[in-house]
Amino acid sequence: MDLLLEYHSQLLAGTWMTVKLALVSLAIALVFGLLGAWAKLSKNRLAQRLAGIYTTLVRGVPDLVLILLVFFGGQVMINELGYATGLWGYVDISKFAAGAATIGVIFGAYFTETFRGAIMAIPPGQIEAGVSCGMRKSLIFRHIIWPQMVRYALPGFTNNWLVQLKTTALVSVIGLQDLVYNAFTAGRSTGQLFTFMAAAFVIYLMLTGLSDLAFRALDRRYSRGVVRA
Amino acid sequence: MTANSALKIDNLHKSFGPHQVIKGVSMEAQKGDVIAILGASGSGKSTFLRCINLLETPNSGDVYLGGEKIRMRKNRHGETIPADIRQVERMRARLAMVFQGFNLWSHMTVMENVLEGPLYVQGIPKSEARDKAQALLAKVGLSDRADYYPAHLSGGQQQRVAIARALAMDPDVMLFDEPTSALDPELVGEVLSVMRDLAEEGRTMLVVTHEMGFARDVSSKTVFLHQGEICEEGPPSQLFTNPETEQFRAFLSRMN
Repeated sequence: MDLLLEYHSQLLAGTWMTVKLALVSLAIALVFGLLGAWAKLSKNRLAQRLAGIYTTLVRGVPDLVLILLVFFGGQVMINELGYATGLWGYVDISKFAAGAATIGVIFGAYFTETFRGAIMAIPPGQIEAGVSCGMRKSLIFRHIIWPQMVRYALPGFTNNWLVQLKTTALVSVIGLQDLVYNAFTAGRSTGQLFTFMAAAFVIYLMLTGLSDLAFRALDRRYSRGVVRA
Repeated sequence: MTANSALKIDNLHKSFGPHQVIKGVSMEAQKGDVIAILGASGSGKSTFLRCINLLETPNSGDVYLGGEKIRMRKNRHGETIPADIRQVERMRARLAMVFQGFNLWSHMTVMENVLEGPLYVQGIPKSEARDKAQALLAKVGLSDRADYYPAHLSGGQQQRVAIARALAMDPDVMLFDEPTSALDPELVGEVLSVMRDLAEEGRTMLVVTHEMGFARDVSSKTVFLHQGEICEEGPPSQLFTNPETEQFRAFLSRMN
């Protein structure tokens, strides 16, 4: 316990990094997910195909491989490109940006499927009812599709988010000082790996527990008009 | 076209792929007309109704609402599409539709369902819209259900809400797409009686239906569609007592 107190600032900083990374990558994932779902449901063949390639590719490769590829490969590629074209000088990708972007893009693929399924679950007649009273597309989206899509998407969304929150632990391999990295470092330097990993265990559980509460509130809010069995 | 014309459809064609569903149907409703559209399943009657407010895009033919033509054009693949989607939206707001499956918005209360169009499509002030919605719910006999969600109502009640929602738009013409076909037999009467009241008020209505009694007693004109074409049409008194074609006679004997 004394050890934990001594190292509490590292643990807190690591936790904060994990939370920041999870939230930023979630925002990126939501944008990619909504775009992906829109593309998959659009009538545009090219959009459909691009979204198909995106989800197949991303979901078919281990997250760790993609993170390493983007961080090391991406760095080299951008700089080679800048050198070849002369458009920009040396760029140093920040670990945070690389981690958040990669995790965001990876989970965007999962959110694509979640959102696509949720939109398809809305009875098409309700959208026709909107169309037939002269509603514009944007109004139909805001008033009819969005509120119901959120409800249908919530279970899958909750799943994705929990996995995503835990996937942020992978960024410790590129040296980003998240909760795992800091706990592991502290554990090794003090020789008390078990204590620090137990602390990480508890902190992760607290984070997932908090998100569970948030999702329950969202579920209540978006379940208007649903008959509970 | 007379000044009294509420809705006119001229030589409408619609195919799904190689399958021709509507093969040149024309129809005109004067203000206050109630046109009952009959036909066996697959005769194209629902498709016809859905082409009027462009839920389905007709391949050719024109729709005039109160003398104003819905403008169409060809896209680069040679398909017919609306020339001006804003015009179509304005037209749709004047052509309320009542569906077989009610299609109420399930996350909104009865009141919110009825208010949606007036508030967000027509931009009517809230208090005025609310008064009107309350009056309409009273008219369909559901004043006490304003705060219920659709899932808590019977099919007949949901359909009456859908009618109130359609009326809230002050439509020039109401389109009914088999409004009682999804209802339990004991609930059909309450919906038909609301529709009868509307007819008596002088509302212009196109009603696709299997309710022979309604067509016979309420419609000012009955149209029988067969394989995508008008097979027989006229005042119901004449049509029902003296069917001219073999197809309509066969249809009537199947329905009775």
